[in-house]
Amino acid sequence: MIEVKLHDIGEGMTEGEILTFFVKVGDVVKMDQPLVEVQTDKVSAELSAPKAGIVKEILIEQGETVMVGTSILMIEEIRDKEELEQRQEKSTVKNYRSEAVRSQRRVLASPYTRKIARENQVNIEDVVGTGEKGRVIDQDVYAVLGFKKKPEQQSKKPSPELRSSSYFTGSKPSSVRTIPYEGRRKQIATKMTESVYTIPHVTHFEEANVTSLLEWRTACKEVGMPFSLGAYFIKALVITLKEHPLFNSVLDEKNGVIRIQDFYNIGLATNAPDGLIVPVLKQADRKSILTIDREMKELTRKAQDNELKGDDLRGGTFTVSNVGPLGSTGATPIINAPQTALLAIHKTKRRPIVTKDDQLAIGDVMTMSMSFDHRIADGAQAVAFTNRWVELLEEPKRLILELM
Amino acid sequence: MEATKAQQTRSMTMVQAVNDALRVALEQDETVLLLGEDIGRNGGVFRATDGLQAQFGEERVIDTPLSEAGIVGTAVGLAVSGSKPIVEIQFMGFVYPAYEQIMTHVSRIRMRSLSHYTVPMVIRAPYGAGIRAPEIHSDSMEALFTHMPGIKVVCPSTPTEAKGLLLAALRDPDPVLMMEPLRLYRGEKEDVALNHYETDIGKATKLSEGKDVTLLAWGAMVAVVKKAAAAVAEEGIACDVIDLRTLFPLDKDTIAESVQKTGRAVVVHEAHATGGLGNDLVSVINDTSFLSMRSPIERVTGFDVPVPIGSLEDHYIPSVSRVVEAIHKTVQF
Repeated sequence: MIEVKLHDIGEGMTEGEILTFFVKVGDVVKMDQPLVEVQTDKVSAELSAPKAGIVKEILIEQGETVMVGTSILMIEEIRDKEELEQRQEKSTVKNYRSEAVRSQRRVLASPYTRKIARENQVNIEDVVGTGEKGRVIDQDVYAVLGFKKKPEQQSKKPSPELRSSSYFTGSKPSSVRTIPYEGRRKQIATKMTESVYTIPHVTHFEEANVTSLLEWRTACKEVGMPFSLGAYFIKALVITLKEHPLFNSVLDEKNGVIRIQDFYNIGLATNAPDGLIVPVLKQADRKSILTIDREMKELTRKAQDNELKGDDLRGGTFTVSNVGPLGSTGATPIINAPQTALLAIHKTKRRPIVTKDDQLAIGDVMTMSMSFDHRIADGAQAVAFTNRWVELLEEPKRLILELM
Repeated sequence: MEATKAQQTRSMTMVQAVNDALRVALEQDETVLLLGEDIGRNGGVFRATDGLQAQFGEERVIDTPLSEAGIVGTAVGLAVSGSKPIVEIQFMGFVYPAYEQIMTHVSRIRMRSLSHYTVPMVIRAPYGAGIRAPEIHSDSMEALFTHMPGIKVVCPSTPTEAKGLLLAALRDPDPVLMMEPLRLYRGEKEDVALNHYETDIGKATKLSEGKDVTLLAWGAMVAVVKKAAAAVAEEGIACDVIDLRTLFPLDKDTIAESVQKTGRAVVVHEAHATGGLGNDLVSVINDTSFLSMRSPIERVTGFDVPVPIGSLEDHYIPSVSRVVEAIHKTVQF
């Protein structure tokens, strides 16, 4: 008899909601056949059958939320291939998803890496590789594990004095409305705390006169090629990152190296109903502005509709937080660790500006805030970085030249 | 006491150690006989049998006609009827005429006779490139013999191992082929014990401890591998250097233990790559240690051509730089 447990799908989840069972008791299942859909803090995922067999018992009700490690259902293994085939033919109950063969990602990883993943119950197919050609290396597995362990340590953080203070033991919680501090909220908190405690953040501010860019956008719209400013920002950003690769790197303290990554996956900080989530626009350097625009919108929609899959959330190398549409003219954003920098883009306002020939004019001025990891880069490098980016924003022709 | 201890060893080259082993064997056991071309008065093409005929007589150190098949066939007859013949093949490349005898009789009589007869003989054959010998003289054909059940194959890399393996081979009830690396015959000298001692057949030896890469070699390639390990040590790569010593049966435990620790392996031999013993080592690692591997196993071997003559040999034999390159490949994978 094999227990199918809720395992960590790879994002450091601690619990998950059982959404749908694809099987019933008595069903004959093949190895890797999807059994149940689970909603975690961030994604919905399928658990599949570890072995071929018969579903003997379902232990959890649909809709229940269970902790990682909880047994969900029991399968009686069938070793004999012929018996399995016979049983499957006999099985009158249709497997809801027997047709849908789950697309398994082919993962590059050395046997040793696979071993450590297996020993630690990490599903290697869910790990994003940072090695050559996307190979999963030992550190990637350890990174997944690292996040798994951290929340426990964090929860021990408040000192005894604080906990015994009246603020925390507040006698009448009923007088205050409470909202659950769990799920995605808690995960955001964990990540933010982790980032802010380990990374010495520095934030600098800059502004760009995007008047010409807005004009160009209007011109493009007129010829039937509309794009959002965000897509343009990302294209310009990738070009800037290529020239200043330090900001596309990851610090590997254990091995004493800064790993400069040669792929450009831009995280898009997105305000979703359940809270902040950062889907990743992959390989932005290989995509046109229009493609970026389309994919960005799709990722945002998925975030709103809670349809993001694990893969959509992994592998980011740099994060952009476009709060412009919401307002704000400046911020001190927290870096999306282990990345090196995060760029927040704020509101564009019409403002008086001084032109090159000392005349007053009206321009569209956008502000931005760039937080970076001072362990990896210094202020001068960060300013050079934004200067270059601003240059591409202020004079769209320069960007076009880069694209040619 | 100290003085006698000092007398118990003498500095020897590998060929002198072989000679010493033969002398010890002839002294200790009357049934030991030597057979080979020019091994008597001449003392052998490499002087491995120098002085032995003078000491032990023509009945025990026998000059044979130029007929490898005849020599080995005679030795089989002697071995099954109570003698312990040690055959010298002048160069391993000359063993081919005797291959039929080895394949069909030397290696099989024990099985054919259901162990009523064993063939306690030793075949010594200098092998390998590196001394600018003419064509055919430089082959490394160990794979022909490790593929043949019923015969053990040993290969020393030092004078001490040469003597110890030869004496162990002689005591073994079954036939043993000892491949003696030509290139090392008169290379380094070493203090070798003068008494009888044996080096276990079937046991590899670890020459240095390292956590990063396992280097597997035998015979003349051990020196190359040691130099490569020293070169990469400066970059901070620590190698487990293993001298296999016995090529059949392989010491799988030592190989597995090391590779499971390092997760990487480089196999070095001067024989041809295709069908070479290196492939068996890759299989051993695959069978025993797959889940420990961090990178594919690298092989550095001779090329799939006859060993070329003259200075072209240098391009054929695995060099230190080729081994270093292979180590880098495994580490940077």
